[in-house]
Amino acid sequence: MRFLKSQIFNILRRQCFRQEILISSRQGTGTIVQTPQLLLLPPLRHRCLSTAQWIRRESSQSCKVNTEKVDLDVWKSLMKNEECKSTSPVPTADAEEDAPLDATQELVQMWRESGRLVPENMTKEELQIFAELSTKSAKKKYLKYLAIKENNKKARKEKKKIKQEQVKLEVIEKEPMEHPKNTFLLQFWQRSMDSLYNWRAAQALLFGQPLVFDMSYEHYMSRQELENTVFQLQECEGWNRKSNDPFHLYFCNLKLEGTYHKELKKRYREAWDRLLITATEKTHVELFSRDKLVYLTADSPNVLRTFDHDKIYIVGSMVDKSIQRGLSLANAKRLKLATARLPLDEHLHWESGAKNLTLDQVMRILLTIKDSNNWEDALNFVPKRKHDGFIKSKTQHEKEPIFKSQPIGRNQKPTAIQKPTFIKKRLEQTTVNPKERMKWWEE
Amino acid sequence: MSISGLPFLVYQRASRIVIHKHTLSFLKDCRTPKIASFSSCALGKKFCKPKQTELQHQLRRYVLRSTFEAGAARKRGQLVKKKETVKAVEQTARERNATESVPSYPLTTSEWRKLKELYRGKRQFEVSMMTKMVSARSDVNVAKSLLTYVAKENASISYELLLKYLTLCVLGDHHAEVLDVYEIMKSRFKVLDTSAYSLFIKSFSQTENWQECLTFLEDIKRVITPSPRNYGHVIAGALRHGCATVAWQLYDEMLATDLTPHPETWKAFYDHKLYSDENKSKLMSILVYMRNNQIYPSESLAKSIKSWFESDPNISWKGSWTTVARSGQCRHCSSSLESIHLTEEEYDVLKKKVMNDVILGSDVFNKTTPQELQHFKDFVKKRHSYDVVIDGLNVANITNRGRQSENLLEVVSHLAELNLRLLVLGRKHMLKPSRSWDRSNMATIQQKADCFFTENISEDDPFLLYATLHSGNHCRFLSQDLMRDHKACLTDSGLRRLFFKWQRGHQLVLANYNPGRSVNFQVVPIYDTIVQTNGTSWHIPYDKDEVERCTYEVPTKWLCLVQKN
Repeated sequence: MRFLKSQIFNILRRQCFRQEILISSRQGTGTIVQTPQLLLLPPLRHRCLSTAQWIRRESSQSCKVNTEKVDLDVWKSLMKNEECKSTSPVPTADAEEDAPLDATQELVQMWRESGRLVPENMTKEELQIFAELSTKSAKKKYLKYLAIKENNKKARKEKKKIKQEQVKLEVIEKEPMEHPKNTFLLQFWQRSMDSLYNWRAAQALLFGQPLVFDMSYEHYMSRQELENTVFQLQECEGWNRKSNDPFHLYFCNLKLEGTYHKELKKRYREAWDRLLITATEKTHVELFSRDKLVYLTADSPNVLRTFDHDKIYIVGSMVDKSIQRGLSLANAKRLKLATARLPLDEHLHWESGAKNLTLDQVMRILLTIKDSNNWEDALNFVPKRKHDGFIKSKTQHEKEPIFKSQPIGRNQKPTAIQKPTFIKKRLEQTTVNPKERMKWWEE
Repeated sequence: MSISGLPFLVYQRASRIVIHKHTLSFLKDCRTPKIASFSSCALGKKFCKPKQTELQHQLRRYVLRSTFEAGAARKRGQLVKKKETVKAVEQTARERNATESVPSYPLTTSEWRKLKELYRGKRQFEVSMMTKMVSARSDVNVAKSLLTYVAKENASISYELLLKYLTLCVLGDHHAEVLDVYEIMKSRFKVLDTSAYSLFIKSFSQTENWQECLTFLEDIKRVITPSPRNYGHVIAGALRHGCATVAWQLYDEMLATDLTPHPETWKAFYDHKLYSDENKSKLMSILVYMRNNQIYPSESLAKSIKSWFESDPNISWKGSWTTVARSGQCRHCSSSLESIHLTEEEYDVLKKKVMNDVILGSDVFNKTTPQELQHFKDFVKKRHSYDVVIDGLNVANITNRGRQSENLLEVVSHLAELNLRLLVLGRKHMLKPSRSWDRSNMATIQQKADCFFTENISEDDPFLLYATLHSGNHCRFLSQDLMRDHKACLTDSGLRRLFFKWQRGHQLVLANYNPGRSVNFQVVPIYDTIVQTNGTSWHIPYDKDEVERCTYEVPTKWLCLVQKN
């Protein structure tokens, strides 16, 4: 049997033992051991005798006759005997009003049956939004979004359940302690941390450096983008509060009862009124003198080389998924403000992705640069997928460590003020280097 | 250079003067009087004609292809070919995989069971197997045996699996089988999804039950708009069974919902050879639709159109495949085609819209500032009209050899020699003396041409477009830029087509520019590439099958249809 080509073997098998019972009986005797691979006919890759092909055609025809008699009727009759599956709920009295909505619901259910990525259940509002979307692609995208949202919710619930069960088990396992533990402090609760942060934020309100979020981009954004922006603003506020030396945050151009305002109140709930930030309807130009304001925008031709503690930086609070170039630059031009962009090209090997960063990333970059005045630390918050490492100054091979301290991309000659710092660094270098050498010798 | 046979001077960097050697052959080129007809009489202004013709000759001396001709982009980008071969290899590999893992003859239930035990995959075994069968276009009987196995195992077949099986049947044109599946689906499920309806429409339109398709179409309409292909299949079905009125109704409905018909649909209309008066006018209206939306038929559709015209029982048409000479004459019937120049109304509309949409937009500050705009407006009003407007930065950066100011100076002096009034647009940083922007060169440029420098953060292209439009119909602009982003700023698709037409007729493009050599331009077409008629003849540009055309290119091949008397 081993020398038989698998195809010919297949043909032989089909011609000799057409029925299953026979095969199984043969298997019982153990003369033919069938491997499932043999059931597949690989495509012809080699030349074979025409007779074999003829046999094959013959056999396949005979096979066809055979299968059609047996196979087809089986599944069709089975399917026809089954009752109609009611896919939709029984129509109620007000079915006439919701006829299109019902049709939509039925369609979405059928799409789910056909294996598309659509949600299981849809609320009436969601169906309404779905019906109002104008294009087919928008509808499909919306359904996909809902489906992913639903899946995430389910996954979260599952996790929660498992955790609860684990906690129950742990409680059962734990034995009651005989003696109470001796501690210096009571458990340090989050509440105490919060009050500490709030003290800092209150301090920043009085003495902190202002940082302005320009909220005048309401009309350039879709609903989804606006929600994302508000989420990012919350993140910003959080990072700011937790930093060592927070900014004094200003939300300027915030229209009372505008979409932004409503959305912020909806997210923060009653905490909105207790937030230690300044939210005003006034523009930043009314609040501060023009010569101190710097508008941060990726389209700016000027690079922010050093962080200035006396300047007031403005960040346009906007998410533009549909890339809208030059909006914030136009705003700055209108008010005749100075503009600057972050020195991304100067410090990073940029690979891909837009150079406009999210609000929370910008916030953390500014906080870090404010604290440490080191761009490398600050630009750690740029997403790693967008760049391929920092542009390194050649410190290891350089004989003169003077250059190490010189900021990269700076074309100016070092000024008199900076010279002392150079000398200091140089001294540090000379003190550090011998030690390292010693270590190297020891090794 | 001039017509009277004066020696032609070529400006060179070393300021050597070279007398044109081939003056005779060069004069031969100049003997087509047709060209002079392009002057802007439409605007009612009189221009120095010799100057115009000179420019024309300059442009016509070199037999070069235009940027806007089909296939030019393909030649520019050599990478496309490589990508395609890779894709083809991938595809064949995928198909091979599918064919290898799909059984080639019906299996019994026990054999299927064994296969399932071997299966390691995320999806359901049956569904993934059926998907492979669809991609391998395997025999229906194999699929049937799989269905039988599933029915025996699970006592029912999922909708997804049935849908995949239906796809296989429709692809293999097994109409009887599709009918059976339809019966089963109707009995099992209350409603079906859109993909099932689409498949049924495709299959039923080829059988006697094509009337059913209309109800399917209604079912799809309840929730989403049917695709042009859905409509196309139903229309094809109606035509096949001789119901032209239904087909035209559906066609009109499709146009009313702003869908662009599929070319196959038009082909079906022309292939069914309808010659009653009403049908004739409708078929002509399809050609007008193509004209209005700047759609060019594919080669197969062009063939259908040709055969429809030629087999007209009342009027005898003669169709032939041809190209158009540079003079704008059809090489077959030697009638001249429509001019590329816009009418006065179109011109005014375009001028206004470029100002409103491209320069102003929603916010003046996006591209410029109000002061700068006012400055520019005054500047344009004060000067007389120009002949050529030059995009300074674009021309300067054409090659990376030579310094930028020198490249610009070379082109400007060349055009100045032709006695043309020039305007150079640039940015203010060009005035700051540096290595690439030499002070003396810039001074010479300012002597030879008028200059307007925008702010460094302003856009210069919109100003270039407006200055050209403002100067009138005879004015050209010189830039390698395809201006696609500015075309996209226009709000209305009709306007975009108008802009594209104007651009084709007014943009000069430098050809194979090398610093220190003579300056040549690509040919500017003087006829419009669009479906056109003059009552007794039709000229229809079409796309060859093997040529890939980009959106900013136009076809070069034509179908010429003439009435024989």
